Amino acid sequence: MTIAAGPAGVGRAKQKGPKGRSTAASIALHGTLAVASLIAVFPVVWLLLTSIKPRNAWDSATVTLFDHPNLGNYAFVLSQTKFLRWLVNTLIVAGATTVIGVLLAASTGYAVSRFRFPGFRSVMWMLLITQMFPVAILIVPLYNLMAGLGLINTFPGLMIAYLTTAVPFCAWMLKGYFDTIPVQIDEAGQVDGLTPFGTFWRLVLPLAKPGLAVAAFYSFITAWAEVAYATTFMTGDESYTLAVGMQSFVSEYRAEWGYMTASAVLIAIPAAVVFLLVQRHLVTGLTAGATKS
Amino acid sequence: MRRVISAVAAAAALALAVSACGSDDSPKSAAPATSAAPADVTGTVTWWDTSDATNEGPAFKELIADFEAKYPKIKVSYVNVPFGEAQNKFQTAAQAGSGAPDVIRAEVGWVAQFASLGYLAPLDGTPAVDNADDFLPGPASAGKYDGKTYAVPQVTDTLGLLYNKELLAKAGHNEPPKTFDELKQTALDVKSKTGVDGLTLNVDSYFLLPFIYGEGGDLLDIDSKKITVSSAQAVAGVQKVMDLISSSAAPKPTIKDSYVAAETAFKEGKTAMIFNGPWSMSDNLGGKVFKDKPDNLGVAPVPAGSVKAAGPTGGHTYAVYAGSGNLDASYLFVQYMDSAESQAKLAGKLGLLPTRASAYSLPDASGSPVVATWKSVMETAVSRPWIPEQGQLFQPLVEGYQDLVSGKESDVQKVMDGVAQKYQGLLKGWSL
Amino acid sequence: MAAQAVDGTVAGGGPARDQAALHRRPGGQGPVRRFIGRHWYAWALTAPVVIVTLVLVGYPLVRGVYLSLTDATEANVGRTIGMNVIPSTYEFVGLKNYTAALADPEFLATLGWTVLWTAVCVTLHYGLGLGLAILLNRPLRFRSFYRVLLVLPWAVPAFVSAFIWRYIFSAKYGVLNAMLNAAGLPAVAWLDDPAVAKISVIVVNVWLGVPFMMLAVLGGLQAIPGELYEAASMDGATPWQRFRYITLPGLRPVASTVVLLGTIWTFNQFAVIFLVTGGGPGTSTQILVTNAYRLAFTGIRDYAGSATWGLLILLILSAMTVIYRRALRRTGEAW
Repeated sequence: MTIAAGPAGVGRAKQKGPKGRSTAASIALHGTLAVASLIAVFPVVWLLLTSIKPRNAWDSATVTLFDHPNLGNYAFVLSQTKFLRWLVNTLIVAGATTVIGVLLAASTGYAVSRFRFPGFRSVMWMLLITQMFPVAILIVPLYNLMAGLGLINTFPGLMIAYLTTAVPFCAWMLKGYFDTIPVQIDEAGQVDGLTPFGTFWRLVLPLAKPGLAVAAFYSFITAWAEVAYATTFMTGDESYTLAVGMQSFVSEYRAEWGYMTASAVLIAIPAAVVFLLVQRHLVTGLTAGATKS
Repeated sequence: MRRVISAVAAAAALALAVSACGSDDSPKSAAPATSAAPADVTGTVTWWDTSDATNEGPAFKELIADFEAKYPKIKVSYVNVPFGEAQNKFQTAAQAGSGAPDVIRAEVGWVAQFASLGYLAPLDGTPAVDNADDFLPGPASAGKYDGKTYAVPQVTDTLGLLYNKELLAKAGHNEPPKTFDELKQTALDVKSKTGVDGLTLNVDSYFLLPFIYGEGGDLLDIDSKKITVSSAQAVAGVQKVMDLISSSAAPKPTIKDSYVAAETAFKEGKTAMIFNGPWSMSDNLGGKVFKDKPDNLGVAPVPAGSVKAAGPTGGHTYAVYAGSGNLDASYLFVQYMDSAESQAKLAGKLGLLPTRASAYSLPDASGSPVVATWKSVMETAVSRPWIPEQGQLFQPLVEGYQDLVSGKESDVQKVMDGVAQKYQGLLKGWSL
Repeated sequence: MAAQAVDGTVAGGGPARDQAALHRRPGGQGPVRRFIGRHWYAWALTAPVVIVTLVLVGYPLVRGVYLSLTDATEANVGRTIGMNVIPSTYEFVGLKNYTAALADPEFLATLGWTVLWTAVCVTLHYGLGLGLAILLNRPLRFRSFYRVLLVLPWAVPAFVSAFIWRYIFSAKYGVLNAMLNAAGLPAVAWLDDPAVAKISVIVVNVWLGVPFMMLAVLGGLQAIPGELYEAASMDGATPWQRFRYITLPGLRPVASTVVLLGTIWTFNQFAVIFLVTGGGPGTSTQILVTNAYRLAFTGIRDYAGSATWGLLILLILSAMTVIYRRALRRTGEAW
C-alpha cells in the first residue's frame, strides 16, 4: 500500500535514458530480448513454414525449412471448407464476450477494490472458486442447464459459458489494478459532483487502461481459441467456431497438418491484430489519465 | 472409479455372446422399402458423420444427394463431427435429450455402450434393418446388444501386414512372413542386407491385439466372464512384441504419435513392414516409395503366433438416436445409406470394405483394388467383446504398453497384472 | 479485511478505504434504509456477475457435491430417451468415493507431480515475466517490436500451440531432433521418456504462460509512480535496492493476484498436458485435472468419481488459497 500514500498526479519516470547506458549493458539488454523473442517466435515461424509446404510434406523424416513454397493449403481452407463462416461466428462470440466480459469484470473489480460491503469476502471467494473447479467436469451439468434454457447450439449459450471463465479471472485481475489507483481520485470526483457511476466511468476506468487492455485481450483469447465448450455446445457445423472447425482436419487416423497449419495461421492473425490494437494502451495508462486530474 | 454393472447388463453381455454366434436369430426386417409408407415420410434427418471430412466426406455427401432425390420430402442435415470428439459429444447431447443427431456413424466399439445407456433406438422390424441375412456375421454382431439390433454395419476392417516388396526381395524374401518367428527373421534380414529398418511398431492397444490373439490370448473371456489380459497366452503375445524390440528386429518405437511415425517411415521406404488397416491404403500409395510403383506395396494377413493368425474386427455402423423426432425418416436414411449399392459406391470411391456379402459382387466394389486386396485378409478378423465397457479397455492396456516401451517397466507379467487389476475396477463381477 | 468494522464502514487504509460514505444517498432514515443506502452501489456493481455465476457454476457445484456422495454413473442416473426409460438406481454411499480416491496410490502420485508442475511453472512464469517486463519497461529502441514478438505466444490459440509443440517435439519428423542430428548430436525422446516428457510439457506451458505474466507485470510497473524512483536515486539507492524496495512492493497488488490466479490456472492446466502428451508415456505426465477428465469422459461416465476428483481439486486449491491469503495479510495485503 506504499503507492496509495503518494500523490495522485504523476509523470512517467525518467529513468536512465539510452544514453546513460553503457555499450555492454545495451548489448546485454538487446541480446536478452532478442533471444527471448526468438524463442517466443520460433514455434510460430515453424507453423508458418509448415503451412506453405505442400499438403503432405509435414510428416517427412527429412526436415527442411522450405519445400516447394505455395499457398495451396490456404486456398483449400478458404475455398473448400466453411472457414469464413466459422470466422464470422468466432468474431461474433469473441467480440461479444470481450465487450460484456470487460464491462462486467470492471464493475465487479471496482466494487471489490473500493468497497467493503456485506458479502464482499463471499464475492471474492466465489470468483476464485469458479476458477478452481475443473472445466472438464463442469461441462456436462452446464450442458444440461443450457439445454433446459434452450441455449444449445446458440451463440449466447457459448458466450455465457465463456463469461463464466473470463469474468472471474478479469475481475480479480482488475481489482489488483484498481487497488493501485489512488483513492483520492475517487474522492476528487465526488467533490466535483460526479455521481458514483460517473466517478467510475470518467475517472477510474481511463486510469485503469493497461489493466483493461490485458483483461480485454484475455477475454478475447479465451473466447477466440476455446475448444472444450465450443466442441460440446455447438452441434451443427453452421455454428462451429474456428477452433472446432479446425478439428475437422483431424480424422480417426490421420491429421491434415497442411490444412491445419494454414488455418492456425489464419486464426492467429486476427488475434495478433487485436493485440496490436490494445497494446498501445499498455504504455499510456496512468500518464495519460493522471495529467488530467 | 467404480463402475457398477447391473445384473441385467451382465446377462445382456452373455446374451450378446450367444446372439453373436448366429445372427439369424434377429428378427427379419418386416417393412420392405417398397411399401407405400416411405414416400409419405417427411422430416429432417441430422446425420453426424465421423469419417475423414477432407477425404471421405464428399463421397458421403454425394450419397446424401441421391437419397434426397429419391425421397424429396426428407431433408438431410449433414454434420461432420471429428472422430475424436464424436463419442463424447454424442453422449453429452444424448443424455441431455437436446442437441443429439438423428443418426450417427458409430464406431463398432461404441454401439454396445450407447445401447446399454438407452441412447439408441432398436432397429429390428424397421426399414433400417434391410435384408439382414446379407450382412457379414462378424461386423453385424457389433450392432447387436441384449439380443436386439441397435446399429447396422457400414464398413468393416481389420489389421494386416503391409510390406515393401522391393525391400523384402533385397533381403532375400519373396514372400511376406507368415509367423511371428518369420516376421522377426525377415525384419532382421532386411536390417542387415538393406540397412533400413525391418519392422516399425505402433504403440497402441489395438495394434497389440494381433500378437495377443496369435498366442491364443484375448483381453476378456466373455463366456466365463473372466479377465484374461494377464493370462499366460496374452503375456506371451506381449512378450513377442518386446522380443522384436530387444532383438532389434524392430527399432524402439516412437510412443507419441506412434501411428504417424510408423506410417511415415513406411511411406518413405525407411522401414519394410508395418501393421495397418485398409483405411491407410490411399495414404500409403501417396508416399514416396509407392507413388509411382503401387505394385511395390504388399498386403498380407497378420503373421500367426503359436496358435493362430488373427486381427481385430474394426469398422463403423449407422445407429439411430432413441430421442430422435424423425425416427421414420431416419430408418429410411439408414436403409438407403447401407444398401448394397451404396456400400459398393463407397467401396469404389474410398476403398471402404462392404459389410454386405452381395456388395462385393457389384462392379463398383469388385473393381476396387483395395477391396480385392483386403478381402482375403478379412478372413483372419476375429470379433471383439462387444460389451458396454469395451471402450474403456484400451486405455489401461496402452499405458502398460507405453511403460514397457519407454523402459519404465520391464516385467511383462507385472504390467499385465496391473492392467487386469484396472479391468477389475471396470468390470464388476468378472473374475481374474 | 482485518479491520472491517461491524457496519462495514472502514477497512484499513489506502485504496481499501470505504467509499460508501461518499456515495450515500441523502435522506436515508431508519437503520435498514441506511444499511441499504450505504451498500446499494457495491451490490449493484457486483450483482450481474454474482447472479450469473451462482446459476452457471453454483448449480453444477452443488450437484457435484451431491453426486460425489453417491455411486452415480451414466448408466444408473434415471432418464427417458424416446422409447427407452432408464430408472434411477444410484445410491447414497457417504464419503466412500473420497476415501477410495485418497487411498488410491495413483491419486497421491498424480498429486505429487501436479504440485511440482504447478510450482515450477508458476515460478518460471512469474520470474521470466517479471524479468522481461522490467527490460521492456526501460526506454529502449525497438521496444514495441520486442513487445509484439514476445507476446506472440499468447496470441496464438493455446490448442494450436500445443499441436505445434507436439510437432516440434516429434521424435522422427520433429524439427528439434532434426537440428540435433544436423549438429551431430543424438536425438532426444522429447515426449517418449517419462522424465524428459515432464520437462517438455513444462517448457510448453512456460512458453505459453510467460507473455501473460509479462503483460500483467508491465501494466503493474506502469502504475508505480516515477518520482519514487527519482527520490530513491537522489538518496543514492542502488538498482537492486530500487528493485527490492520500490518495484517489488509496488507490484504487489498486481503480483499477488496474478500469482494466485496463475497457480490455480496452472494446477488445472488441462489443454497443454492433454494435447501435448495425453498424460503419457504411460501415466507419467497425468495431472489431477486430466485424470479427472479421464474418469468423466471415457466410456460409461463415472459421474460420482469425477465429481469427487473435481471437489478434491477444489479443496486442495482452497486450502492453498487460505494459506496464501494468510501470508499476504502478514505483509499488509488484505481481502
